[in-house]
Amino acid sequence: MTTLATTRRSVLAGIGAASTLPFLPRRARAATPLNLGVLRLTSHAPNYIAYERGYFAEEGFEVELVFFEAAQPMAVAIASGDADFGVTAISGGLVSLAQRGAVKVIGGALAEEPGIPGQVVLASNQAYDSGLTTAAALPGHTFGITTAGSSFHYMLSRVARGEGFDIAQVEMRPLQKVGTIVAALGSGQIDSWAIVPSISNRLLAEGQAKKIADMSQYAPDYQVTTVFTSSAIANDDRARAEAFLRALSRGVNDYNAAFVDKTANAEEQAELAALVGQYVSPDVPAERFLETMTTTSMRINRDLGLSVSSVRDQLDWFKAEGMVPADVTEEMLIDPSFVATF
Amino acid sequence: MDIRVRHASHAYGGLAVLSDIDLVAPAGKILCLVGPSGCGKSTLLRLMGGLERPTSGAIELVGAPPSGCLNELTFVFQHFALLPWASVEGNVRFVLDHHRLSEAERAEIVADVLARTGLADFAEAWPRQLSGGMRQRVAIARALAVRPAVLLMDEPLSALDSQTREILMEDLVGLWTRAPFTAVYVTHNLAEAVRLGHAVAVMSRRPGRIREIVAIDTPLSERRPDDPELERVQARLWSLLRDEAIDADRELVDG
Amino acid sequence: MVDLSPARQPREADARPVPFRGGGFAPGRNRWAGLVVFVALIAFFEVGTRTGVISSLTMPPPSAVAQTLWRLVETGLLWQNLGPSLYRLAMGSLVGCGAGILVGFAIGLFTLARAGLVPLVSALFPIPKIALLPLFVIWFGIGEGSKVALIAFGTFTPTVVATFGAVDGVDRGLIRMAQSFGVPWLRIVTRVVLPDALAGILSGLRVSLAIGIVLLVAAEMLGARYGIGAYILEAGALYDLERLFAGVVILSVLGLLVSAGIGALERRLLRWRG
Repeated sequence: MTTLATTRRSVLAGIGAASTLPFLPRRARAATPLNLGVLRLTSHAPNYIAYERGYFAEEGFEVELVFFEAAQPMAVAIASGDADFGVTAISGGLVSLAQRGAVKVIGGALAEEPGIPGQVVLASNQAYDSGLTTAAALPGHTFGITTAGSSFHYMLSRVARGEGFDIAQVEMRPLQKVGTIVAALGSGQIDSWAIVPSISNRLLAEGQAKKIADMSQYAPDYQVTTVFTSSAIANDDRARAEAFLRALSRGVNDYNAAFVDKTANAEEQAELAALVGQYVSPDVPAERFLETMTTTSMRINRDLGLSVSSVRDQLDWFKAEGMVPADVTEEMLIDPSFVATF
Repeated sequence: MDIRVRHASHAYGGLAVLSDIDLVAPAGKILCLVGPSGCGKSTLLRLMGGLERPTSGAIELVGAPPSGCLNELTFVFQHFALLPWASVEGNVRFVLDHHRLSEAERAEIVADVLARTGLADFAEAWPRQLSGGMRQRVAIARALAVRPAVLLMDEPLSALDSQTREILMEDLVGLWTRAPFTAVYVTHNLAEAVRLGHAVAVMSRRPGRIREIVAIDTPLSERRPDDPELERVQARLWSLLRDEAIDADRELVDG
Repeated sequence: MVDLSPARQPREADARPVPFRGGGFAPGRNRWAGLVVFVALIAFFEVGTRTGVISSLTMPPPSAVAQTLWRLVETGLLWQNLGPSLYRLAMGSLVGCGAGILVGFAIGLFTLARAGLVPLVSALFPIPKIALLPLFVIWFGIGEGSKVALIAFGTFTPTVVATFGAVDGVDRGLIRMAQSFGVPWLRIVTRVVLPDALAGILSGLRVSLAIGIVLLVAAEMLGARYGIGAYILEAGALYDLERLFAGVVILSVLGLLVSAGIGALERRLLRWRG
């Protein structure tokens, strides 16, 4: 793996030299190895951009990407020191690990923003045809989640809060993996789900499901994913964490400019889409992936700013549901000193 | 009822085991079959009992079976073949259960055969709790329970020690004397043959033929272990067998 | 009388005991050793976690696990989770082991079944049943059907193999005996083959049911809100080690109970072995 990463970096160095980026002198210093946990999702695009464009290298990191199937094992890997940084939704598991002093949230990433594509609530075709056309009709239906305490579980709770029904009236189906939920929704084994636009758009376009609500309607300031690292790095290696956030922020800026605000030109869009696509959807044609990126990309907070109020709401909900101990505090979970908070 | 073997031959694959056997087991008598090991005497018994079919020739039953007979040709096996999970009574009942009998008839038969074989006090015992001799008594009781026309006994005493064997021989003589039965009795033990056989058929080594049939006229109940007449017959049988036995002993087992 | 006195009287000093060489190779029974190992291990982890030698990230204190278990009992959550699991395990293994015994008998008794089914069973045996779970969801639905089917399928193949092995091992002498008494075929199967094969079938069931418990967790990965497996998976997702271990303890106890149940069945049905 290490040799492969080095080879890629050598290639990158060549590309970098051809452009005007002045990172060679920095790279000449001993590079710090850094394991970055990633998922093959479009919401992880800034990671890939910063990696491929050498932003991490410029900060003196020799990054190795560590791929995960789901957010939960990534959180455990960061707690165990097998990965240094990760970006994922706040889950019960992450909070538990934070309570045990293993991990810290140091920044915000994916967020709901009015006017920008956001997460949507879907109904299966069968359920839609038999009357599940609005989120208010969810009671008595099944709803897919990966596991209890996942972001999907939280989203359902926000819908319930917004529509004023008891979450217990909806039957949750834990299916462990996003792919399984997609299959279950498409075949009508479950009635409903809430998911990011990159996946929902595909399901809607293929006629596999129907949209019944926007998540931003229920959770307008929802901080969907956060940047987190091990407590050891957050507490004792601030410089490293700051350097990492700086590099990732540049990836975020490129991503927002290209796909969210669309201030970048078409050439830049295509280049970034190709760069992300090789990790996220290598089997999807470049044009189609570009279209997915430009039409379904959610906002990632500028400079990885963190909505503490949203995180607090999520934390309170976990505690109220008894999924994490009641004595977990915000301070255990978040270190707000790295990024702008709001 | 007689059982008659006519020109029967038998082979396993290409290996001839029995050759042109002609033999009659007369009703109410015990016919002993002796021969060197591997001569096919047990095979002949299985042919007579219908557990195997002869390659050529015929096995015939002559005459009517006794009244109340449930299983004409009934085996007593060398290793008893008792169901280990059934009690002594259960083992006897096992061979009666599929016959149309009233429960009272069944109980009567069971009580009768257990009494005749001296097992009345052991009806509830498991086979593993019994000595070898007692186990063979159970097997004999089971065989008697179906009122057989012919008892086919395959070395029934060979798995027992010599004292037990002596006692069981007396038992068999007693059983026959009180109610004579027809039996074909396979053994390699000449002392058994002269004690129990009304006639002794001597077989040659493989492929087995009937070499000679020796009749013994002394009534069973009057035969004693040290009877000089019986010793003479036994010596004669041994002289008939000796050379065959030596040759059989030198044969390769799967030759 | 034969004179058995030795030809030459050795001196008393030459006498020495015959060295004993027959020991070992006969593990005996000891009720307490198992318990002592168990208690020592628990004490070790309790002290280790309390003093911080063992990080709270790697292992919960056993006492905390015990408290979690007690809370499960108090709140009724235990039955809420155990009920569906027991139903799935019972239904799945009933169907799987039942069909397995029938097929095992067919293979053991009929040439055609043996020729036709042995290759099939050999082909099915090594399939990781967990990999088929998504397929089962499509076939049997996301509800109880797929879970029961997974456990049934998982317990089926080992039961078949154990059963036909046991039927093959039935004492042919006893069958010959029954035939010689004119006992009908079906009665030979039920009164001779079945009892003789029972020991082998029961020890096969021991393995099958253990596999069933393993598959219970896998089955509850998909769409189960309640169940011991779902409870363990949820605890893992929440990184709640106390609940995770509590669930594991429940599964272990379930395994012990199943094993003890089969042991009792063996003692009862195989009483004749003494």
